[in-house]
Formats: sequence, structure tokens, C-alpha cells
Amino acid sequence: MKKTLTVNLSGIVFNIDEDAYQLLDKYLSNLREHFKTEEGTDEIMDDFEARIAELLDERIRLGHNVISIEHVEEVINRMGKPEDLFDGEKTEKEDDETETTNQTKFVYKKKLMRDPDDKIIGGVASGIAAYMGWDTTAVRCAFILLLFIPYCPAVFIYILLWLLTPLARTAADKLRMKGESVTIENIGKTVTDNFEKVSNKVSDIKTKNTLHKIADLLVTVIGYILKFLAIIALIFGIPILAIFLLVMVVIALGIVLGGGGLIYNLLTPLGIGIFDNIHVLGEPGMLGMIGCVSLILLIGIPLFTLIYIICCSIFKLQPLSKTAKITLLVIWCIALLAGIYFLSQAGYEGWKNLPFPHYWYRQQIYY
Amino acid sequence: MNAENVKSQMRKGVLEYCILLILEKEPAYTSDIIQKLQEAKLIVVEGTLYPLLTRLKNSGLLSYQWIESTQGPPRKYYKLTQDGEAFLKELENSWQELNDTINHIKENF
Repeated sequence: MKKTLTVNLSGIVFNIDEDAYQLLDKYLSNLREHFKTEEGTDEIMDDFEARIAELLDERIRLGHNVISIEHVEEVINRMGKPEDLFDGEKTEKEDDETETTNQTKFVYKKKLMRDPDDKIIGGVASGIAAYMGWDTTAVRCAFILLLFIPYCPAVFIYILLWLLTPLARTAADKLRMKGESVTIENIGKTVTDNFEKVSNKVSDIKTKNTLHKIADLLVTVIGYILKFLAIIALIFGIPILAIFLLVMVVIALGIVLGGGGLIYNLLTPLGIGIFDNIHVLGEPGMLGMIGCVSLILLIGIPLFTLIYIICCSIFKLQPLSKTAKITLLVIWCIALLAGIYFLSQAGYEGWKNLPFPHYWYRQQIYY
Repeated sequence: MNAENVKSQMRKGVLEYCILLILEKEPAYTSDIIQKLQEAKLIVVEGTLYPLLTRLKNSGLLSYQWIESTQGPPRKYYKLTQDGEAFLKELENSWQELNDTINHIKENF
């Protein structure tokens, strides 16, 4: 028994087996991927779809009620397997000028991505393994070992990678993840490989040796425990995070409303007032203000970016534009310089304002 | 140097010329074109033709017309435009030249 789907292909409705649908869908999306640089992609794809619809319709006329995977394979053979089509296209690419070849090389550069087909938590480890050509189980074990090293921000690194690396959704992405070039031939391989993997998932396990299997199992179990812990941490962490955010918002409002003065006054009892007698830009108390603002920016900008990225992946927001990123980076660098300036001045003043005169130190050294 | 590569480049080179020659006689549907090419022992799959035909159409050498079919949905019938005819003449000349070159070399050297 097989599940069937109803599809509309170029205006004709077909009942199609689920596996046949998957094969056809992959075939079409890979063709689209390949022709997307071409002028008139939609038209080419419409032609393909129309012809496929016509060929499948012939099968229906012959008395088949449902399109099966054999029918789709037959049609793909007739239309051309990705590798056959690639044969024709290759020369076209060679005719193109070197400029475009360089461009394609650049576009198809190896990229760190997360692997959705092989994941325990977020697919980060398998993505790294694919990128570096290592064994996935080994990378996972390494991550788990890192967890036991004190002061090692393994969890933080993992979450950061999870947020920053995209998921390899299409066949082309999966090739890019492994650093294989995205040619229609390779895409074809991925299509068929994936297909075989879906149908013979069991045989895949047999090829691994016992140690590997045990490690796999262990890693999976630890992965589930970590997932569970993460959920608990999230439940308890959300109120804390909310309070933290609230404080940040209050501070931000403080900057906006009081131009830093408010915070400066707030922080005066903490001892920043000792810099009152320093005149930076002719204003007393300016240095303390520079210190406050730069400190807030130094922490606030990375925090804001991180929160924004998290929101992006949760609420499907537009990622930050390049201009916004560069602006934030420039502001951050300025804040860093201001912070360094503040520290150097504050250190110097602190030295001068020691309860005992500094020449007293020297005397101690001399005598 | 890969023989397969050179052969596929040669095939590719004459493919456009062959398509234009087929369409010169009468408008044709993609599978007709394929069939004629196969009769002429030039093996290509249908998928190669769609991008090629669209490219030729976009550069104004071909135009198409939807014609109702008895066996299903309407089909795109391609035919040569005037530009296409002029282009075909040019290709014919250069094919003749190529042919002469090859024959000359074969006979004289």
C-alpha cells in the first residue's frame, strides 16, 4: 500500500505515488537550480513541466490510474538525466568568459552549513564534519568532551554556530556543505543518493563497525539528555533573560532621555564621581560619561546583534543588512577606542588620587 | 585531452544548426525535433532542447505558436523567423567552409 498525492502539473491533475512525487519534485527543483542563471528560467521550466505532464498523461490514457515511480523514472530518462543534460551544458559553460567561471567558483565555495538529514540537536556537528571531511560521530564526541572541560564555552560555541550557520535545505546546499561543486551531474547524484537513503535507511547502519555503533548510540543518548536540559534551562532562563532585557531597555532609555547624564548620576555613588575634576573637552565629568556610554555600547551592540539573530530564526525576520552590520561594527570600534581612552585616563587619575602621594612610593623604593 | 569532451563539443556546435535546418522545412514540436535528430543519428535528450530553444527564441531566431493537440494539452510549435533564416544562411556558409577545410586537409596533407 502506498500513499498518493494529487498534483497539478502544467494544468493537468495527476494522482501520484508519494515516492514518485518526491523523485519528480527533486528532479524539477534541481533543474530549476541549474537553469536559474539562465535568461527565461520560468519559461524553460514551464516547457519541462508541460512536456512531463504530456508524457505522464499518455500513461494515464493507457489505463494507469496512478503515476508510479517507474513512470517518473521513464520520463526522466526520456527528458534526460541530470548528468546527460550536464553533458550538453558543460560546453556552454566553457564557452563563457573566464569572468563568469570565476564567479561560479566563488558562488560554489565550500560553506559551513547545518545538515538537516543527520542531526541530533541542531545539525551543527554533522555540518562541521561535512565541512572538514571528518567523521560525524567523532565531532560529536569531541563536543561532548568539551562539555566536561571547565571554563570551556562549548555550549556557547554550539549555540552561536547553530544561529550563525544556515540549514542546508536544497541538494545544491548539501553539495556546497561538502565542498563539491554544484553541477547538474552532482545534483543528480545527490538526488538519487538521497532517494536510496530514504528507502534503504536500515542497510546504512550495517556498514558501520560495532565501536562506531556504540559511539553513535552514546552520542544520541547524550544528545537527548542535552536537549532535555536545554528545555529545562530555557524554562527557568526566560524570566532571568526578560529581567536582563528590561534592564538593558531601561539603560538604553536612560541614554536617549538623559544623554548619558542620567546614568552618570546613577553611577556616581559607585565612585565614578572621583573623575569630576578631570576636564575632558572642557567639561567636568565628561570622562565618566564617556566611560559609561562606551561600556554600554561595548556590551550592548554584540548583545543586540545576538538577540536580533535569535529573533530572526524564531520570527523569520529579515537578517541585518550589510550597511547596518558595518555601522554597528564602526560604532563598536569607536566605543572600544573611547573605552580604552577612558581606562587609560581613569587609571592615570586613579594613580594621582591615591590616598598617598605617588612620590611616596618612589621614596619607598629609593630608601 | 578527452575525446568524449571534444565529441560532445562538436555535437553541441552543430546542434543549433541542425535544429534550424529541421525548422526551416516546417514548424515542429520538440518531440518531433528529437525524433528527426534521432533519425539523423544525433542523439540528444529532450531536456537539452528546452533551454536551447528558449535561448534561440529569446535571441529572435525562432518564434512559436500554441497548437491544439489531439493527444493532450496544446503544444508549442517552433518556427524560423526572418532573422533565423538569415542566421541559417550564415551557418550554412560557415558549415560549407568547415567542410571544405576538412576535405582539403584530408586530401592534400
